[in-house]
Amino acid sequence: MSLFKYESEVREPLVKGNKTYHQITEDIIKPIEVKPTKLWYVGLVIALILLGFGVLSVYQEVVYGIGQWNLNKTVGWGWDITNFVWWVGIGHAGTLISAILLLFRQGWRTGVNRAAEAMTIFAVMCAGQFPIFHMGRVWMAMYVLPYPNTRGSLWPNFESPLLWDVFAISTYFTVSLLFWYSGLLPDFATVRDRAKTKLRKLLYGVAAFGWSGSTKHWQRHESLSLVLAGLSTPLVLSVHTIVSFDFATSVIPGWHTSIFPPYFVAGAVFSGFAMVQTLLLMVRHVLGLQDYITMGHIEAMNKVIVLTASIVGCAYLTELFMAWYSQNKYEGYAFFYSRVNLFSPYGWSYWGMMSCNVIVPQIFWFSKLRRNIALTFFMSILINVGMWFERFVIIVTSIYRDYLPSSWTVYYSPTIWEIGFYLGTFGLFFTCFFLFAKYFPVIAVAEIKSVLKTTGDNYHEKMLPAEQMTAEEFAHEYAH
Amino acid sequence: MENKKYWQSFGERNESEAYKQSVKDEFPKAQEPQIPFDESKGVLDAVTPRRDFLKYLGFSTAAAAIAAGCETPVHKSIPFANKPEDLVPGQADYYATTYVQDGDVLSILARVRDGRPIKITGNNQSPIYKGCTSARAEASVLDLYNTARLRFPYIKDKEATFAQIDKALASDIAGNVVVLTSTIVSPSTKEIIASFLAKYPGGKHVTYDAVSYAGILAANESTFGKRAIPSYKFENAQTIVSIGADFLGTWLSPTEFTKQYAVNRRIDEKKPAMSRHYQFESVLSPTGASADYKFLCKPSEWGKVAVALLNAVNGQAVSGISDAKLVEGIKKVAKDLAETKGKALVVSGSNDPNVQIAVNALNQAIGAYGTTIDWAITLNNRAGYDADFAQLVADMNAGTVNTLLVYGANPAYNYFDADKFKKGLEKVRTTVSFSSFDDETTQLCKYKIPDHHYLESWGDAEPKSGYFSFIQPTINPLFKTRQWQDSLLKWAGAGLEYAAYLKQYWSAKLGGEGGWFNAIQTGVLNPAETAASAGAFNSAAVANAISAIGATKTGSDIEVLLYQKVSIGEGQGANNPFLQEMPDPITCSTWDNYFVISPKIAKSLLNIDITNEGQSDDYEVHPEKEVLKLTINGKELTLPFLIVPGTQADTIGVAVGYGRSEKIGKAAKGSGKNVYPFSYVKDGFVNYNLSGGKLERTGEKYTIAQTQTHGRYDSKIGGKRVEVMKELTLAQFVHDPKEIFKEREHEFEEFGGLENFEKQGTIYPYHEKPGIHWAMSVDLNACTGCGACVVACSIENNVPIVGKGEVARFHDMHWLRIDRYYSGDVENPDVVFQPMMCQHCDNAPCENVCPVSATNHSTEGLNQMAYNRCIGTRYCANNCPYKVRRFNWADYTGADSFKNNQDQKLVGDLGEVVLDMNDDLTRMVLNPDVTVRSRGVIEKCSFCVQRLQDAKLKAKRESRPMVDSDIETACQSSCPSDCFVFGNVNDKNSAISKTRKDNPYRLFYSLEQLHVMPNVNYLTKVRNKTEMEEAAEA
Repeated sequence: MSLFKYESEVREPLVKGNKTYHQITEDIIKPIEVKPTKLWYVGLVIALILLGFGVLSVYQEVVYGIGQWNLNKTVGWGWDITNFVWWVGIGHAGTLISAILLLFRQGWRTGVNRAAEAMTIFAVMCAGQFPIFHMGRVWMAMYVLPYPNTRGSLWPNFESPLLWDVFAISTYFTVSLLFWYSGLLPDFATVRDRAKTKLRKLLYGVAAFGWSGSTKHWQRHESLSLVLAGLSTPLVLSVHTIVSFDFATSVIPGWHTSIFPPYFVAGAVFSGFAMVQTLLLMVRHVLGLQDYITMGHIEAMNKVIVLTASIVGCAYLTELFMAWYSQNKYEGYAFFYSRVNLFSPYGWSYWGMMSCNVIVPQIFWFSKLRRNIALTFFMSILINVGMWFERFVIIVTSIYRDYLPSSWTVYYSPTIWEIGFYLGTFGLFFTCFFLFAKYFPVIAVAEIKSVLKTTGDNYHEKMLPAEQMTAEEFAHEYAH
Repeated sequence: MENKKYWQSFGERNESEAYKQSVKDEFPKAQEPQIPFDESKGVLDAVTPRRDFLKYLGFSTAAAAIAAGCETPVHKSIPFANKPEDLVPGQADYYATTYVQDGDVLSILARVRDGRPIKITGNNQSPIYKGCTSARAEASVLDLYNTARLRFPYIKDKEATFAQIDKALASDIAGNVVVLTSTIVSPSTKEIIASFLAKYPGGKHVTYDAVSYAGILAANESTFGKRAIPSYKFENAQTIVSIGADFLGTWLSPTEFTKQYAVNRRIDEKKPAMSRHYQFESVLSPTGASADYKFLCKPSEWGKVAVALLNAVNGQAVSGISDAKLVEGIKKVAKDLAETKGKALVVSGSNDPNVQIAVNALNQAIGAYGTTIDWAITLNNRAGYDADFAQLVADMNAGTVNTLLVYGANPAYNYFDADKFKKGLEKVRTTVSFSSFDDETTQLCKYKIPDHHYLESWGDAEPKSGYFSFIQPTINPLFKTRQWQDSLLKWAGAGLEYAAYLKQYWSAKLGGEGGWFNAIQTGVLNPAETAASAGAFNSAAVANAISAIGATKTGSDIEVLLYQKVSIGEGQGANNPFLQEMPDPITCSTWDNYFVISPKIAKSLLNIDITNEGQSDDYEVHPEKEVLKLTINGKELTLPFLIVPGTQADTIGVAVGYGRSEKIGKAAKGSGKNVYPFSYVKDGFVNYNLSGGKLERTGEKYTIAQTQTHGRYDSKIGGKRVEVMKELTLAQFVHDPKEIFKEREHEFEEFGGLENFEKQGTIYPYHEKPGIHWAMSVDLNACTGCGACVVACSIENNVPIVGKGEVARFHDMHWLRIDRYYSGDVENPDVVFQPMMCQHCDNAPCENVCPVSATNHSTEGLNQMAYNRCIGTRYCANNCPYKVRRFNWADYTGADSFKNNQDQKLVGDLGEVVLDMNDDLTRMVLNPDVTVRSRGVIEKCSFCVQRLQDAKLKAKRESRPMVDSDIETACQSSCPSDCFVFGNVNDKNSAISKTRKDNPYRLFYSLEQLHVMPNVNYLTKVRNKTEMEEAAEA
């Protein structure tokens, strides 16, 4: 054994195959420079169709009123806010991967961070549509912005959790976008430098902000990454905490729960990782990036998934315990009748949530199952279905039967336009994602190159001889 | 000297070119607008100098915004060229007048704004109604502006002028003339009819009521020798027994009775006592819901119950009744009746004279006559006699009637054998209808001469003998209509118009014009108090009646009871959207009639066990109910069903008044089915109970629009929600008056008791509440659920009508609703009503969640809405524990800047009614003091803030402190049982302060444990029961 062994015996290589720097560039930048595949066109068209339907749905709602949705006097929020929370949750993994894992020096993040961050940004864009278009008078939406105005000046209500949402989400979106974009600069510069057409050179040149790869640039880039990582780390925790305040600060049984902030954050990370899995498994397959998004990555993320699934499970049980322990009859009814009772009108959604989010993900305790791609893909979708149920359970089963039994109304199910709005955000998301996959380097080229020195075959080729050397030999060999 | 020149610069001295130019440019284009364009060239050729960039940017943005901005429709209002002398814009005038709808009468004040009557308020001067109204009277103002009103006279469905009509009828009215009316309460009109008929020998006046009370008339004829109805005095009764009479909802004169009834239903906490009300009934009615004890029997058993009571009161055994619970009940009631002789009253809703004779005998036995029933004053609002009308129909079919003049009556719709009437009508040569609407009978008439709406009319009414109420016009006739009395006078050749006739008629009685003017100003004329008369009871008919009742069979088959709803009544309310949309007090449904079935039938026929939470939930959360088919007497009826606990196990109730012709108004279109054809004549009297029915499932579904689906406030999980609603029996209350109070004290022990809860229950600092602090108290003991407040609130506050489709999606907009809860026995539960409106919480959960502060707290304790600021997140509605906030889901008012967006396409259906409510004519009913809300904003009860503002200003103008009489919310003013008390709680002398001080033990706030600090308190419902506990769950 040599003293100079850098690589852990148990850790899988982060990049497979004996990649050279050039090969990495070729592998990742090439798809940008060639014509997209037919599959890409098909995907994009489907996404655009969904987006178009979404636009129509929103048009209906804006012109004809929220009555186009099946909400009612008791159930004031339904699919709209469910979808909002769901998308925001998905938007969590990106920043977690790029910021927190960067701070914790998790090398494996380099393979997945670019796509995860892109996903974050698109998911937050989708999420933002719901609180905006769930307003009865969306054309007055600017009332929520605090700016000196001619109306008094009339300020928004800083006590309202919805207003906190406005700040939390816009901040999160801005920081995530900056983080993502600053990471893209060196890669854009690579595309620019390789560009063979004038247009491409021009566009990527502009996008690269004049990146020259000088040491100074790199040094500033590294500092900026750290600063942004530092900024966004608390945001990862705060955004969903604040989203959870929408419910936690209310008086409605089932909403008024102090466990919500950590529970929401765990749930968000959970669903975010599931979504990253879904996307990366597809990207990896379509773009042939198996060497960069390795089994190790997938397994690592599955570990995060099983951890957060268990946290969420604990939270569910804690809620139930508190509902019993508090002996509050209203909360007791919300939890033990409206949710736990499978035969109550919405019992199915609670058990859907429980099985998708808590029970089934426990299979990831087994390494073999963690490394099964088909299963992982299936689970990644199942988990997001479950997480959708979670938000639906929280929102709808709480308000459809709250304090006064006289106000318990009808079985709430969405209209075509509510479903359409949701599908439309899928359209938006995948349109963005397909464009991203075609025009942006889906893996951080510069960052993946940085791990090449410490892991994988390339490392082995160069460093194994050195590792075999004794200290003296090494000192001799590398003295100059 | 003269040319000496002063100069400031060399340029000026020398008049250089540069100087001249600078003088010229000193105020560049001062008079012209500062548009940043070089106007010498076209706009598009303009160059933008760097310095002007921002100007250009601003200008073009503003221009684009103006050009592209949505245009809100502009409605111009034009001021009077010559202002009428007494009219102050923005100030309401009140005219004393009278609501008369067939026999129903209410003395009212019409609130007139800028020449338009917009609201009905009670006339305090009336000793009968004492300033209250009813749901139907409140809604009647909309009938004035109904777009379906006949706008001019017709001859054979062609427009005609009155001159043409009069000319044609001069020869057409001939032969045997019959005037067919609903009950006429106007003494002058009766005189006019008589003088008109005097011209035609053999002429007859026939009175026909949609729902007949002939049974009572006949019974009184045989026992008291008078075909009349005495007046009832519920306020004198300690024991009230009703056998199927919904006297608080629809029977005879419900508003009057509610007023009387409420007197003894309120409790003085220091001396707790109240009347005891027993109800024997078949289908749960609002009256049954208010009763202390309710016993279920089949409609065919009503007579037997009366006889059994009579026997029991006379000390005989109860016989002829098999149901053990019912026998127990009868014994209990009889005991109470016997003990409270002279202070008891029995009424029955049956139209069978035998039953009514038995009831009369019972009333005689318990000494009701002269104490709780007064023969000195008769009740005049129902006078129709079934046999008279049957004779007329026979005459018509025999061809012996040549001319028929119809006013008020609508037998083509509501006669049990309408086809026979229609056939007869074909044989009548001249048919004239005076109806304002093209109703079922009018459609068949040759001449249609629409009458004025009562708010456009002159008239008088005598609802009870000696009590007069006057009608004066409050607006010029909107259409080419003519009062029917005018027509009769003209055809009788009287030579003067009704207004003049009326003036003459009353001036003669009241000692000249002055008396008449006084009378119409006050609106009412009341007799001096007279001693009650017991009448002369003749028991000859009793034995026969009893044996006839004994002969009635009560089988085990399904019986059907045709009942009236508070809102639609006999069918008069069917074309009024406010009444159609008013939730039924019992079923909370709107816009339809349906089978009211018992839990037993639900279980046996439909497999819905309402004691099983899963099954009852499934039934409740789906508004699509299965359509059932009823076969009875060879006729079939298919209607959806609603399960109503408190309905006799084998009885089905169906409301009359539905299924009307859509020609009478958009609201009538498609709502319910007509069940009048199911009534039948038995021994010459129309009977509304049928037996021998068969009920089957059809498998089809039909949506019923309910506003409340869940009726219980307890559940297996979570238990009883006593924070929502509190009920006690009188025995409990007498035993421990402080029970509720102690419960509340205990709840807040950890905060230092009730007094400290406000300060200790929060981490936030306490705020003093100086000045005015508005608050309301609702006495649950008095509320009968009649719904007058719901309609009053909607009209006062321009609450939009949303139509059936939207109510079915729970988009109803009522600011005030009446929650109805069942408790106890599933078969025969106790029922309680809870008027629920914004509680104006001092620590309102809706306020802090609004991101834009659109809802906030006034310094006077009002939770107020700034509609302009609302962006419609609905967060406030979600966070309202009382769920009283209403969202404008669609463009209900047509106030939107999006064009043509009321067609809801694919999703939902705004319906023609909603569009009809946006018609320029219908919109005249809108209260100009209240903003019409647009789509996308939240609205809710404002405590009638416009009235509060008015009251404050009035007091200020008169330089005095505001007092209680200055303020009345719409709900409060309408309430016949006076269950609302409203005022300034900071004023120690105000009624609200006194109510709270006097009722410390019954007082509670709904959901007060949430520390939302509501400003509306409730007074615990106390039932006059001898049991210490409410009936345990069966």
